[in-house]
Amino acid sequence: MDLKLLILLCLFVCCSTSLFSQQTHWVDDILPDSLLDDPTFRICNNEDQVIQYFNSGKGMEYEGDKPALTDIFHKQYKPVTSIGQTGFIRIRFIVNCKGESGRFRMLCSDLNYLPVQFDTKITDQLLAITKSLKGWKPKRWKETEIDYYQYLFFKIEEGNLATILP
Amino acid sequence: MRFVLISFICFISTWLIAQPNCNVYLWNGDTAQYKACQYLESNIDKYYQFSKNFHLVIDSALLICPRFAYAYREKAAPFVKSGNFIEWKKNIDLAVTYDSLIYLPVRASLRYKFFADYEGALADIEMLERLSPTLVEYTSNGTYHLEVVKALCYKQTGNSAKALSILEKHLLINKETPGLYDLLHLAVLYLHTGRYKEAEEFLLLQNKAYEYADTYFYLAQCYKQQNRMEAYIECKNKSNHLYKNGQKLTDPYNELFDQVYLSDIENL
Repeated sequence: MDLKLLILLCLFVCCSTSLFSQQTHWVDDILPDSLLDDPTFRICNNEDQVIQYFNSGKGMEYEGDKPALTDIFHKQYKPVTSIGQTGFIRIRFIVNCKGESGRFRMLCSDLNYLPVQFDTKITDQLLAITKSLKGWKPKRWKETEIDYYQYLFFKIEEGNLATILP
Repeated sequence: MRFVLISFICFISTWLIAQPNCNVYLWNGDTAQYKACQYLESNIDKYYQFSKNFHLVIDSALLICPRFAYAYREKAAPFVKSGNFIEWKKNIDLAVTYDSLIYLPVRASLRYKFFADYEGALADIEMLERLSPTLVEYTSNGTYHLEVVKALCYKQTGNSAKALSILEKHLLINKETPGLYDLLHLAVLYLHTGRYKEAEEFLLLQNKAYEYADTYFYLAQCYKQQNRMEAYIECKNKSNHLYKNGQKLTDPYNELFDQVYLSDIENL
């Protein structure tokens, strides 16, 4: 979709459903939060111009591709032996036009897709590793370097890191 | 060019399958669902599925008919793409509740692809088989027949023997019309169980349909295992060349089964 059309669509918005706050433009938008976010992280364009990682048609783009990213997690993540630590974790964030990442948000569920809280020894590790990743490639939309939403999905099995997606 | 055409046909066919025929509801005497369907059909294409207005249209359609399964599927779509498994599951479950035959294949194909939920996908496919044993269904993006998904999910859960048996049977029946990557997946299963002759046969067959860097990677691996070094080098080089030209397994959302990367090729 054309960027101008995306902006026009936002202008169309005159009311919100329960999924949206007054400030959000798209499903699952991540608004800045001074209590959670690195104050030095900035996006390069407007909030309503942050695209999804797949909008470029190139999928997830990381230096060295997915093997480089998964290697980092498998080398740094220490399995946590604690009963019942099985389920899904998503960490979603924004990669700006310079390839910097920020506004990290976490979502956790069990294997039945019901919200749960994992042992913080698991979530803290995953968040710290995700925040430390330096290989995100900036994406372009036509001639403009643009900000985009990326997420990492982790399937945790008994405290072990079983799968990383996308 | 051929690849572009195949992808285009897949995309169009998925789109055609995805659009409900509102008249079906009318023929069945379900006027509420017919009205909701008509409302959605007239309004939904105006908006991007991540936008507020898209969701307003869906919510309005659901006010007309809260049993309208297609609306729940559309409501779920952006959530699966943003990795929000909780919101996605809430909505896709409602779609399945109101129209199991149509939306069980969708749920199955998305839970394996986006959330590595192989057990959940298998449970959905098995439920579908119980509900309608003769139904022929494909994944929501049209890439795979659900029998192939079943085989690949068994492989991911460690049951390669069962995966092989399902895929062999499926390809025997559909010999003339294999899916885009079916022959490759079967060949990789043979390769990983040391059946190099069969692996080579199906990799070469896959190459006749379309040449991917990934196929040549597995061919190189197959030849290396058999100490056929000249063929191994040739295929490795070809794989490298195709990869750099973009002739490889690719998907905008997620990694595909048996997909390889440049580092895999270089380290082979």
